[in-house]
Amino acid sequence: MNPFDMQGQFATSDTHKYSVILPTYNERKNLPIIVWLLANVFEKQQLAWEVIVVDDASPDGTQEVAKQLASLYGEDKIVLKPRAGKLGLGTAYIHGLNFCTGDFVIIMDADFSHHPKFIPQFISLQKAHNLDIVTGTRYRSTSKPFLREATPGGVHGWDLKRKLVSRGANFLADTVLSPGVSDLTGSFRLYKLPVLRHIIAETQSKGYVFQMEMMVRARALGYTVGEVPITFVDRIFGESKLGADEIVSYAKGVWALFVGI
Amino acid sequence: MARAHRVALISTFFASLWALVFFQIFSIPGVDKGAIMEIWPLIPWWLLVTFGSYSLWSLGWGLFTFRDCPEAYEELMREISQAKDDLRSRGLALD
Repeated sequence: MNPFDMQGQFATSDTHKYSVILPTYNERKNLPIIVWLLANVFEKQQLAWEVIVVDDASPDGTQEVAKQLASLYGEDKIVLKPRAGKLGLGTAYIHGLNFCTGDFVIIMDADFSHHPKFIPQFISLQKAHNLDIVTGTRYRSTSKPFLREATPGGVHGWDLKRKLVSRGANFLADTVLSPGVSDLTGSFRLYKLPVLRHIIAETQSKGYVFQMEMMVRARALGYTVGEVPITFVDRIFGESKLGADEIVSYAKGVWALFVGI
Repeated sequence: MARAHRVALISTFFASLWALVFFQIFSIPGVDKGAIMEIWPLIPWWLLVTFGSYSLWSLGWGLFTFRDCPEAYEELMREISQAKDDLRSRGLALD
């Protein structure tokens, strides 16, 4: 068989498939819109894609909506893989990973704080340097390594106090752990599938610290990480919480990584 | 070896070097002893103040350069209503 015939099966030179894992809990209102935004971006870039919806038994009917979306976009595109109860973020990714058919995995929040429009930049940066991981950063104005199409990052809907806490948290982690990544607590990332499998299998913490541990472990394991600046629009529907409890558990998490890795 | 162990090892090494000179067990050749005795006790304080200044600068600069992105919010709002219109026209019931 002529190997050049193979290329005819794809609309672009990009033969990769990108799997988005979306952990959801009561996201009935947000899910259709985030899927619409994702579909838009992927169709425009002519990429092969799928969304794995990992729903933790939401009482609001998120799964019904996911089924409707599956019939609209195709059951190969929207894959619903629910779980029996609220089991946490880390295990949601592990669960979702079992069903990914792509060779790259994108993890992001379903609440619009992460906009799919940055995915093409993640992909360009990954390709340019064959990176294992590309992570979004709110703090940088250029990408690392440099990418021409990157635009400055930022946040919307944060007051000075929230910004100070966020900066302080990242400064603490940066000083203690020097992970080489500017935004440790963000969770908008592109991984090579086997890399995510490897790192997530070794990661132990939960909550805020989970995303940070993934980055610290990635560095300790020698994986390459690139950064793309993103704009972050804080939860527009629903509450974004940050209390003293979170800050204490965050500091404990940093300490655990300091003595553990 | 965890990061904590490396940090502990390196700081113990430098702290003991400092202590050896401070308690005059070991002297730095070629430097006036009186000058050493005046400078040496200040070194830990100097390090502390340097680190404090660096932290304050780093936090302050980070806060100052933390960009707001109202344009991203406006764009998102437009796209959300666009998405709702499009999805409704394709027969999806949204509230």
